Amino acid sequence: MGTSRFPEAMARLEFYVQSVLDYTSRYNYSTSLYYAPTNLIGEYEKYPTYGDFPEAYCLRTYGKWWKNSESYQPNYRPQDYDLLGAEDYVTVQFEHALIPKDICVYEIYNPGAVVRIWAKLLYQTERPWALLWEGQPEKFPHNSRKFHPKIKQINYLTDTIRLEFNQTHLEYHYAVEAILLGGYVPTTGLQTSVMSMGLLNLLTEPVTSKNQCIDNVSITIEDLGTDFFSSLPNEVILHIFQYLDLKSLSRCARVNKRWNQISADALLYQNINLKPYWYLVNCDTLRYFLERCKTLKKLDLSWCGSDDVDGFGNLVVSLLEANFSTLTHLSLGNCKFVDTEVVVRLIFCSELVDLRLRNLSWRDMALWFSSSWHKINKLTALDLTSSDIDDNQLILLLKANPHLKILIIDLCEKLQKLDQVVQVLVDCNKQISTWSSWKTLSLTAEGVRRFANCPNIKELDLGWCLINKDPGNCLHFIAEGCPQLKRLILSEWRGLNDALIMPVIMSCKELTQLDLLGNKNITSDTFKKALLLLPKLRLLDISYCDSVQQEEVNAWRQQYPHITIQNYII
Amino acid sequence: MHTLLVTGRLLSRALWNGIANVSSTPEPNIHRKNESQLISAVCGFSKERQIQRLIKGQFGDDAWFSAKYKTADVLGVADGVGGWRAYGIDPGEFSLQLMKTCERLVNLGLFTPTNPSELLAKSYCELLHHKKAILGSSTACVVILNRDNNTLYTANIGDSGFMVVRRGKVIRRSEEQQHYFNTPFQLSLPPPGYRQEVLSDRPDAALTDNIPVEDGDVILVATDGVFDNLPQSIIVNELIKVQGERCAGRLQMVANSLAWMARNLSFDETFISPFAESAFFNGINTIGGKPDDITVVLATVAI
Repeated sequence: MGTSRFPEAMARLEFYVQSVLDYTSRYNYSTSLYYAPTNLIGEYEKYPTYGDFPEAYCLRTYGKWWKNSESYQPNYRPQDYDLLGAEDYVTVQFEHALIPKDICVYEIYNPGAVVRIWAKLLYQTERPWALLWEGQPEKFPHNSRKFHPKIKQINYLTDTIRLEFNQTHLEYHYAVEAILLGGYVPTTGLQTSVMSMGLLNLLTEPVTSKNQCIDNVSITIEDLGTDFFSSLPNEVILHIFQYLDLKSLSRCARVNKRWNQISADALLYQNINLKPYWYLVNCDTLRYFLERCKTLKKLDLSWCGSDDVDGFGNLVVSLLEANFSTLTHLSLGNCKFVDTEVVVRLIFCSELVDLRLRNLSWRDMALWFSSSWHKINKLTALDLTSSDIDDNQLILLLKANPHLKILIIDLCEKLQKLDQVVQVLVDCNKQISTWSSWKTLSLTAEGVRRFANCPNIKELDLGWCLINKDPGNCLHFIAEGCPQLKRLILSEWRGLNDALIMPVIMSCKELTQLDLLGNKNITSDTFKKALLLLPKLRLLDISYCDSVQQEEVNAWRQQYPHITIQNYII
Repeated sequence: MHTLLVTGRLLSRALWNGIANVSSTPEPNIHRKNESQLISAVCGFSKERQIQRLIKGQFGDDAWFSAKYKTADVLGVADGVGGWRAYGIDPGEFSLQLMKTCERLVNLGLFTPTNPSELLAKSYCELLHHKKAILGSSTACVVILNRDNNTLYTANIGDSGFMVVRRGKVIRRSEEQQHYFNTPFQLSLPPPGYRQEVLSDRPDAALTDNIPVEDGDVILVATDGVFDNLPQSIIVNELIKVQGERCAGRLQMVANSLAWMARNLSFDETFISPFAESAFFNGINTIGGKPDDITVVLATVAI
């Protein structure tokens, strides 16, 4: 066939990543290089060495531990879920567009998280994303891996690749060092124009006569004689439809007039989760929902609208405006379209209870707050990971929302007075149960001590908050004031020692997760006590705690098989 | 005889290390017409007489790097402060990571070619966020050749340093920064609890300088193990030999001889070294070389 010979006539090229366009997860600050997505750029250095090196891109979460957390965002529409359970993605760009033939992912720590590989096609504006590969997550402990799946052969040019990860089955953090894209580029002007017009696909993908197949099916239905379903009352059909996912629902809409009418009922579109369909969502999709959503309650648009489509943001604004009075849950993680227009509308969603704004590229929180921010006053959960919110804005939000239970401000680099924020929290938000301020800079021992006045607190993520500060006896107060504590993350509190951590081990009997990564001065005696004295403990992270011997840990693992003990040293 | 054998092996290993480094630098394709670049060679020794495990970029507690980016060539050395050994901290780790991080920042283009002290500061701040707490302190010297204007931008903190020689004449030499005798300025990350007792200078305390360079200029970037043991006259006599040199192999030979001389003199108990002279000025009566780790990074400017 001429089509199969055609690519060989073009030049074969291979590229490593030139730039990172987007990502959902990071371990470190945006300004920092260690463990950062930027480490994907260029050739690999460490591979095939296996290990937790700062020169690789490391995902923040692993295993079931984050999914089990109370702060984990529940699926707004459980019938629409991702079969492969993608948790995170990273989008990378290469120097040259080519027809992809090979993709190699160099995984150097706990390999196996890649579940999908997408290519963004050049010259395809309608639906630019093509799936090159998908498969179940795997597990290859203790060895690095060059992941080189057999990808679907497409005849389009691409210079942008997206990897989706599911790391929930992995034992510890997942790290990728480099991505290689190999393929062909047109060498002549003729080849280029053939590619850009997509003419090659006319040769390789003859249009299958779909209509025929459908006709066959309809004949078999008629053969059955009676259609019991049509004798059901509308209410019952509506009820049955409520269990359908969005794809099946839109297929039902095409069956006949009656089904079409019922499937357009606003009741079916109260909770919408478009995250599993991010690659399909465009302006038409939003118009479709704009027609049907009249009493929208929960909306998850995470990962959607990343392709700079004109008018996408405006349609989201319309969707929000049509449902101001009913919307309670909203999630806009990694939404590139979020701009001032969208955010200003958020203020009018006065019923909002759960607001998730992770990794927004939009960087002008001040504008939101300058207007009437206080109209939002029913929040119980707020996720502002990686946002540029500042202390005063956060304090205003805390004061306006007395029922707040979950607050996530991981990696918010503009927060300079967190001690004051905690004081406001203690005064105004009595019900707070989850506080997560991973990798924020300004908290001190004094601020941590104030959490002792939050008796309902269950999860406290203070990882890297006191890297080089003296923790004093703040944990003594925490131990006394927070008896319900289930999850405590104290990564890299380098000033901590045995005496300072002991009160927590003695008093917080509800603890299930204790993260003491990088606490060099805590000795193995204390870890032994933690294992012995904390009856509900399931996860103990003592990586980079130099005082522990590997043999000792192995013995503990045998003695306490129900407890996962993480002990990794570079 | 034994020591001769040992040092002989040391020398050959150091040579191998240096040459391996030269051959691994991807230069010819980057070098475009009318664009300046640095041709460099490295040699050094650990002060330990026994053979140490050889890690690229490290000689004892000293560390070095050389890196290239589209807009600039960058060289750097750092000298870990040995006093930390008493606290159970490996002093070489801090300097090595500091240099390695500089190298990565340059390779990824995350630096300003006209601002070497910013590069040092970035690298230093980065160390804090390594999961494995990297503790210790170090002096450091970074030089950047900015291709746009053929100017050398330098930053130096402590008593490591650089020297630029043109046709046998020293046109610039870095100044030492010391708190008091034998106690240089240093970047440090002390263990929590020791913060008060530890000398720590901000990365912005680095002395910065810029020097327009010409084709053929010779640049020496080295740790105090070199400058404390080799008088300037000896250094300059060696550097003349590579004025305008473009062959990395011949550059390597001179780097080797400089490092070798510095090492021999550092163990010479009768030699009046620059270190002994400086001690004498500070009222300390001593003689002989100063046994120390030695790192020589030698480069010539090719325009």
